[in-house]
Amino acid sequence: MASLSNEFGPDSGGRTKGVTIVKPIVFGNVARFFGKKREEDGHTHQWTVYVKPYLNEDMSGYVKKVHFKLHESYNNPNRIVTKAPFELTETGWGEFEIAIKIYFHDPNERHVTMYHILKLFHHTTTDVRVTKHHLVSEFYDEIIFHDPTALMVHLLNATKVFGPGIGKHETNFEEKKEKSLKAIMDAKEKIRKEVTEYKEKLTLAKETIAKFKEKIAQQSKSGAGSI
Amino acid sequence: MADVRDILDLETPAAPEVTKEAILGSDKRARKRPENTRTSKRPEGMNREVYALIRQDNNVVPPLYPTDTGKGYSKIKAKLGMKRVRAWEWTPFTNPARTDGAIFHHWRRVVDAGKEYPFAVFNKKVPIPTYTHTEYVQHLVTSGWTEAETDHLFDLCKRFDLRFIIIHDRWDKKFTARSVEDLKNRYYQVCASLNKVKNQHEKIYHYDYEHEKKRKEQLKKLFERTQKQVEEEQTLLIELRKIEQRKKERDRKTQDLQKLITAADNQTETKKNDRKSSKKTNTTSRQKVSRSDSTNTGKLHVAEPTGIKFPDVKNSGVSLRSQRIKLPSSLGQKKMKGIEQTLVELNIDSNPPPTEQICQQFNELRSDIVLHYELKQALNTCNFELQSLRHQYEAMLPGQTLTIPPSLLPDQSVNKTDAAGSTTGATNA
Repeated sequence: MASLSNEFGPDSGGRTKGVTIVKPIVFGNVARFFGKKREEDGHTHQWTVYVKPYLNEDMSGYVKKVHFKLHESYNNPNRIVTKAPFELTETGWGEFEIAIKIYFHDPNERHVTMYHILKLFHHTTTDVRVTKHHLVSEFYDEIIFHDPTALMVHLLNATKVFGPGIGKHETNFEEKKEKSLKAIMDAKEKIRKEVTEYKEKLTLAKETIAKFKEKIAQQSKSGAGSI
Repeated sequence: MADVRDILDLETPAAPEVTKEAILGSDKRARKRPENTRTSKRPEGMNREVYALIRQDNNVVPPLYPTDTGKGYSKIKAKLGMKRVRAWEWTPFTNPARTDGAIFHHWRRVVDAGKEYPFAVFNKKVPIPTYTHTEYVQHLVTSGWTEAETDHLFDLCKRFDLRFIIIHDRWDKKFTARSVEDLKNRYYQVCASLNKVKNQHEKIYHYDYEHEKKRKEQLKKLFERTQKQVEEEQTLLIELRKIEQRKKERDRKTQDLQKLITAADNQTETKKNDRKSSKKTNTTSRQKVSRSDSTNTGKLHVAEPTGIKFPDVKNSGVSLRSQRIKLPSSLGQKKMKGIEQTLVELNIDSNPPPTEQICQQFNELRSDIVLHYELKQALNTCNFELQSLRHQYEAMLPGQTLTIPPSLLPDQSVNKTDAAGSTTGATNA
């Protein structure tokens, strides 16, 4: 790694213009209920928050470290993970927002920040403690490297690929993507139709208003004349 | 020591001064002393006390800035009493304005002795024309004025230097009562005729009797308004302003409406173009496709004056795709809520997996939703206006009505309330 940064240098010719590399990722958490409240500290769940590549590849090729910022009540809330898998396992009793910062090997590239609400409870079921199987709350996102530095281009292109296709995830994102896109397209069609309708109505309304006004003007004129 | 020197305005001697410390032979002080006197010199004109406040003992130069205003710190004071006093004398004088030759005394500079009383220059006399009896009979006879009356007027004019208010006040009661305007009118008439007769090329003053009369009447009216009348005028003015404002607002609304309609037009057109171009790519008429494409892109630029303006992320660096579907905060709470609600109604995830295609489509969808929302709003106001116009018409012509196109009646509930309203209106009529 050190030799690489030397080779490209800290400011090795700046950014490669016109290049955009996209790395899809998945982040979120899984949680498991103990089955009872733990005596010593009142914790009820064990959870793991993580960031992983969407494709089956080695993320540590370009990610230097991941910073998870936990709730203030945790001992040492700033947890930094420097090796894959970029995940953190803890126990607790409450949900809170975790700030996840991803830092890259090239210090010239700014880190990206995501916010994840730690999920422990199924909100649909009234009694959360009944659910035995573990809970997943994860999201798909894409890191976009626009005009990356030369070092970053090298690292991103040299990412080790473990196997073809998509990595193993709890959620079927391909299906979700397809469904979302279809729903959005359908909704758009519907809204556009309604927009056209409204527009026609509005044009008609405008004309009618003009007509009414004219009639009223005529009426007031003739009325004034007769008086 | 230093104070005495200040008072006597003496320069600091080059030799070290003889101080108590020097006499006592305290080495430390003696060494420090010359440094002190060198670095901090009190600006000329500054009070010693003021300087003591800003000066610090530890040899720091006080925060003073050199200026080019000349002498030192303070403003230059006026130097008074530098000349010899001029002699004044208690002298008698006569005022040429007086006819009785009375003698008074006053103080006067000896230099000015023998000069005329200085205020005599202000003793101006207005030249009042005179006339003889024959002249009067020949030229000045008018109905309503006797010679005696005119004589009396001219006498008063001479005595009071044309101060017509006083003339009016002193007007002899044995003559008919005259207004100030009457007096003025007569005076200037006589002056004008005399001027004409005598061919004197003096300035002829024209007195507009009618105008003066009206002017005074108006002033009187204005002065005699009651509090109530003043208030009424005020409220009327406010009303007028309100009416004008409402008119402006209406104009603006119709403009906005036009904008919305054109926006909707553009949108539907782009949609049609999309379809056309996709069809034409199938039928492989290359030229036409390229043309429709160009019109298409041209339209797209003007397409969304309303809707959402998503920020263009073109900066180099790392970013998350999910940032592209963030709504700009400039949108406003109301519209954001509206979008959210519509998305729920359409059963769409407000946080879809952000692939490039989904981001684009999702943003377009929400932009359309905003347009949809605005159109709906505009349609509502239009409907309201239609209703009120109809009511206005019905009020003007009882028994007649205007028909609103049925497609514009928004839904059944509004229809019902409207029907109820019209029936009550009929019973009232």
